[in-house]
Parts: sequence; structure tokens; C-alpha cells
Amino acid sequence: MLKVEHLTKVYDDGTVALEDLSFEVPENAFMIVIGLSGSGKSTLLRCINRLIDPTEGRILWNGEDITAAKGQDLRVVRRKIGMIFQQFNLVRRSTVLTNVLSGRLGYTSPTWSLINHFSPADQERARAALARVGLTEKVNNRADALSGGQQQRVGIARALMQEPEMILADEPVASLDPVLAHSILGQLEQLNKEDKITVVCSLHYLDLVQRYATHVIGLRDGHLVFEGTNRDILNMTDERFKDIYGQEAERTAAGSITG
Amino acid sequence: MSNQNNSYGANRRKVETPHRSPVIAGVLSAILPGAGQIYTGQIARGIGFMLLAASMVGLLLWARTTHEFEIFQGILIVMLVALVLFWLWQIVSAVWGATNRKFASSWGLILVLIFTYFLGWQATEVNLRKFFTEFSDTFTIFTRVMWPWEAAIERPEELTTIKSPWGNPCPEILSEAPEQTGSESSGVWVMVDPPCGELGSYVVGEGLKEGTMLTVRGGGFDPNDTVEIWWEDPIGQEFQPRYQGDTVSTTTDSQGNFEIAFSAPQYQTPATAVGMQVHKVEARQVKSVGAPILSETVSLAFGRMLITIFQALMATTFGIVLALPFSFLAARNLMSGNPFTLAIYYGIRFILNVTRSIEPIIWAVIATVWVGLGPFAGVIALTIHTIAALGKLYSEAIESIDPGPIEAITATGANWLQVIIYAIIPQVIPPFLSFTIYRWDINVRMSTIIGFVGGGGIGQILFQWINQTRWSSAGIAVWMIAFTVSVMDYASSELRKRFV
Ligand SMILES: Nc1ncnc2c1ncn2[C@@H]1O[C@H](COP(=O)(O)OP(=O)(O)OP(=O)(O)O)[C@@H](O)[C@H]1O
Ligand SMILES: [Mg+2]
Repeated sequence: MLKVEHLTKVYDDGTVALEDLSFEVPENAFMIVIGLSGSGKSTLLRCINRLIDPTEGRILWNGEDITAAKGQDLRVVRRKIGMIFQQFNLVRRSTVLTNVLSGRLGYTSPTWSLINHFSPADQERARAALARVGLTEKVNNRADALSGGQQQRVGIARALMQEPEMILADEPVASLDPVLAHSILGQLEQLNKEDKITVVCSLHYLDLVQRYATHVIGLRDGHLVFEGTNRDILNMTDERFKDIYGQEAERTAAGSITG
Repeated sequence: MSNQNNSYGANRRKVETPHRSPVIAGVLSAILPGAGQIYTGQIARGIGFMLLAASMVGLLLWARTTHEFEIFQGILIVMLVALVLFWLWQIVSAVWGATNRKFASSWGLILVLIFTYFLGWQATEVNLRKFFTEFSDTFTIFTRVMWPWEAAIERPEELTTIKSPWGNPCPEILSEAPEQTGSESSGVWVMVDPPCGELGSYVVGEGLKEGTMLTVRGGGFDPNDTVEIWWEDPIGQEFQPRYQGDTVSTTTDSQGNFEIAFSAPQYQTPATAVGMQVHKVEARQVKSVGAPILSETVSLAFGRMLITIFQALMATTFGIVLALPFSFLAARNLMSGNPFTLAIYYGIRFILNVTRSIEPIIWAVIATVWVGLGPFAGVIALTIHTIAALGKLYSEAIESIDPGPIEAITATGANWLQVIIYAIIPQVIPPFLSFTIYRWDINVRMSTIIGFVGGGGIGQILFQWINQTRWSSAGIAVWMIAFTVSVMDYASSELRKRFV
């Protein structure tokens, strides 16, 4: 369903963030992207939904080349790809409900948006999404009045409003403690299994990678240095991990790999 | 790290222990303060001393010759001594520096401070004697400004008046003298006795000659209240006659009757007048009726206060509207895209900074030249300053927005308009509101002042009253300003609490 071919990204300042990257995300995969800080994980995820324009290469989405999509075409692609972020990226002063509703903007006419109007169906959908992530009581709270874990669940609810076929998650649990990390990844796993939503997620912690990934790719300095399935990662030795993460990487007492 | 420190220390020592001659250092500093220090490698210190010495010499010369103020010899001498001591001190410092001895004396600084404060005291003409001895003259003014309420109320008054004719000179046949008809249906009456006589006059060589002694009786007035006697000449001009240096007045008895004696006033009858001229003697009683009401002063000050508030409102509104476009152009995160927009950014920033550093009162002076005296000039002055101030504050609010939500909303498939509405506006509205309220607060304060230079509103009338030494009226204006400003202050801080 998602295919990346010879993807290269060179930033304006000359930084080569990705170089000649090719891989495929199988239908319904829970793919985890691993790699050191600065290896290009965020750049890759943002190239997929075109928040960043690739320098070279192609991105194929359901067989369609979206590398050069513009305007309404791009909006239609984006609204089928949800995204969640390490820093949650909620509008802090807006209510939880408004934040969740904003996930529906790709389906809403801009004219309605001018007067901040969402259809009753969308309102209903937003409440359902919040119920799904267990935040029914927080509907009218301000987003910044929520804990980190709750904010990330709002982020998931916002992505759900898009009725996504795929969710991109850029280090969704890096700002959360391990227990919350499991709860958030558990939610994503549930969406992946029950709703058949493909997930592409970047992560730092080895134990989480082993627990949740169905597929794994490893990046180093913008190059693809590893591609495998959950079985491959379970069998992977620390030496191989160090190979991906570089010599500084260690398996910590908490069972994590730090970049 | 420690390695680096060591080598750094070694380097420093190498620089500081050149074989510099203390003598040369001392001589150099004696000729030109700081030169010795520069010679021994203490460049910054040397330049500092040089500038200090140069400014001290310059200031001393200026103080000796300026006509701005009178300087006492004693103070000049203190300054001169301080300068000389400073000179010596820095020579010592140069010699010590050359021999690499520690020199941490703060005497130089103390000398500079002595020099500066002695001159400052004179230049600002501080006068403690005046400050204390002449306060008592101010005290009455001060109390009237602080307690101006007598000017705040007026009592409506009613005038009771009645006139009776009086002839001059007396006719041949006495019965032709004016009949005393001074009565009215209301029961008020007045009579002069005698009904005719001589006026007072000034005869060269003989001096003042008093007029005929007159007894004026009247009745039907309010009891126990003042009655004033007025005089009306044959051509109808009224004046208050004086008797023994005072105006003529008395108090009615419990029946409302009075009787008073005085001599006919001095009056120069024109030579062309023939026969008996008829004057009139008038009895007047002023009594207050009804409840006290707010005075003209209060309603005037109140109206001007409203104008002032409207000035602040108009200036704030115009300021917001015009500051908005500027603020986007002055936001670095929006303008750093390419060199062209970056140049605009720097240009706008520069203009805003310069405009803001000019006080509104100066803009008001310029505006009065531009559109003439009055509230509009004040509005222009405040608007200009508001644009500059809000432009900067708004642009900083835009610069500090979190780019995360913009990214997140874009990723949902929203178009740019929706991104602005859902990701940018919610982030900038609270700081914008907060800055705007803050600015409104400042504008209310400022608008009370710009009237002093012709910018209309309450400031203008306050300035006028001060110039007319109408202290109580001025006091009312001052209280009105204080009240308004503190109410606005409280309201805006409450409002701001809601948004921040
Ligand atoms: N806007 C940009 N302009 C220039 N270089 C950038 C920009 N964004 C990222 N880079 C560079 O591109 C490279 C890849 O960055 P990226 O953020 O994709 O890495 P990452 O794997 O997500 O790292 P982290 O784990 O720290 O989030 C880094 O060298 C980074 O410095
Ligand atoms: Mg990243």
C-alpha cells in the first residue's frame, strides 16, 4: 500500500537527511523505524505525508504517485494519513473537543471553518473518538490542562477523526514514562489490529520495538541499514543493534536502547 | 578542560609579564591618562581611564563657563581636586600594572563619583533650603488641589431687588423731589431719606467733599440675611457705592426689615446735564434656593474626561488595525524565508523601534502643528505610538507561537486558511488581547497628559486651570483623572487575568 522508492532529502542548508531510501510498508503492518537521533526518522515520516517535499525519489500510496501531489489532491491524500507527534502538537489553549474536531478539517469546507462550524455528525464522531481513547469526561477541558499521556490520547483521537488508512507516529512515547508508553502503543496496536490501520512509528526503546513491531526498518545517517520482521528483531543480537545505533548505543537496565 | 585552563593561564602570564618599564608607564599616564595602562597591555582599562579623564576635564570646563546655572567656587575646587587625585591615582595604577602588582583600589571610582555628584547637584540646581522653607506657600494650593470639593457644588441663587429714585441736585420746590415709590406687589420696599441731596465730589484744592448723608430703609426681605446697597446713575449704570472704605451692606432683622445710613457716593455729573438728575438706590438680597447642584467645573471636567477616554479608545482601535499588518511583517519566523522579506523585516523593525522611542507627548506636539490643537491631535499622537508599541508586541507574540500545531493541522489535510484559523489564531489571540488591554491602559494614562501640549481632553483643561490658578477646579480634574485611571487599571488587570 505504501511504497518508497529511492527517496532522497537534502535540506536547504545542504544537510543530506535521507539518501536513496527504498522500502515497502505492507498492508496492515505495524512498522517501527529505528535509528539514532539525527538519522532521519522524522524527515522520513514527514516526507510520506509531504509535510516535507522530497528532493528525489517517489512515494507511492495505493499505487498512486503522490510525490508531486498539490492542492486538493494533496489534501485528500493527507486526510487519509493520520499523524501523531512526540510533543503531541495540540493547540494548547483550545478545548479537547476543538482539537479533536480539527482532525476533520480535511473533510470540511473552508467556508464552514471560517465560522468554526462542524456538522452534528462530526461532533458525534469526535465524542466517539474521545470515548475510544477513554477521555469522555475531558471533552471541554483545555488541552494544556491534561497530562502528557492524556494529551497524546487526544492526538490519537484527532488522527481517528481522519478515518485514516495509515497513522504516522513520530516518537509518540518519547515524552512519556514507560507505563504510559505501553498504554499509548497499546492503543495504536489495537487500531492496527481491529481497524486494520497501517502504522508507521519511530521509536527509541528496544523492548517496545520487540513487543509491538510487525516490521522494522533501521536508519543510519539517512541510509537504510536494516529491514526485517518481528522475528528478525527478536533474534537480533546486541551487536547487531549497536551496528544500527552506532557504538554509543547500549541496552539500558530498563531494557532500552538510547540514541 | 584543566589543560586548556593551564595553557590559558600561561598565555596570560606571558602577556602580563612583558618587561614593561614602570617609569615609562607612569610618565605616559601622567601625560595622558590611560596611556600607561595601554602600554602595559591593559587596553580596555586604559581606554576607559582615557575616556573618564577626558569627560571629567570637559565637564569641568563646561561647568566653569556655562550660563545654565551658577556654580559655587567651592564646588569647582572639589571637582578640580577630585580630577587631580584621579589623575594621580591612575598614574599609580599604571606603575603598579607595569610591575605586575595587584591593584584593586576603588579610590578612582569614588573620585569619579564625587566629581559627578557635586556637578550633578549644581547642574540640576538642587536647593534644599527652598525645598523646605517655601513649602508653606505651596501648602494652600496643595490643600485646594487635594480637597477641591467646594468647587464641585453650586447653589442656585435668587436675587430680590428693589429700587427707589433719588434726585440730585434738590429742586427749588422740595415737593418736586422724587416720590419714594420703591415698593412691589411682593411686599418688598425701599425708601431713601432725604429723597434728594448732594453727591460726593472731589474739588481741586479742597479735597474730597462727602455727599449728603442718606438713610435707606427697606422691608419685605428674607429675615436675618444680607442686603447690599447698589447705586444706579441717571444713564442706568450700576455700581456698588463705598462708604468709609467698604461696600454698603447690612443684615435684615427678624421681620425682614433693615435700615442703613451712608453718604451719597462720589459721582461726576456731566456738565451738559440740566436740572435734577434722577439716580436710583437699590437694595439687593441674594438668597440660595433649592439643593446644591454639581458645578459647571464638574460637568466640564467630566465631559473632557469622556473625550479623553474616547481618545484612548480611538487611538487604541486605529493602533490595533494598523499594527496588525506591521506585526506580521515584523515577525522573524514569517519573514526569514528569503533575503527580500528579511530586508523588509529589518526595515519595519527599525521604523517601529525609532517610532516607539519617541514619547507620545512629542508626537502630540508634532500632531498639533499638523492638524491643530484639539483631541484629534492627541488621537494621532497616541495612534502613532500605539502602532509602534503594539507592532512590536504582536510580532513577538507571532514569533513565539508553537509550530507544532501548524504542522499537525496541516497533516490532517486542512488548507492554509483552516491552518490559520485553527492553529495560528488560537495561539496569538490571547497574547494579542492581553497586549491590547495593556496598551489601552497606557493610552488612557497618556491621553490625560497630552492635553498639556494641546492634545485636547482633560489634560488641556487641567493645564488651563493651573495657568489660571484655579486650584480647586484643577483639583477636580486631578481627582477625575486619578479615579478614571485607577478604575481602568483595575478593569484591565482583571481582564488580562482572564486571558493570560
Ligand atoms: N529543517 C531542517 N533544516 C536543515 N537540516 C535539518 C532540518 N531538519 C532536520 N535536519 C537535519 O536532518 C538530519 C535528520 O534529522 P531528523 O530530524 O529527521 O532526525 P531524527 O532521526 O528524527 O532525529 P531525532 O531522533 O533526534 O528526532 C539531522 O542531521 C538534522 O540535523
Ligand atoms: Mg525526530
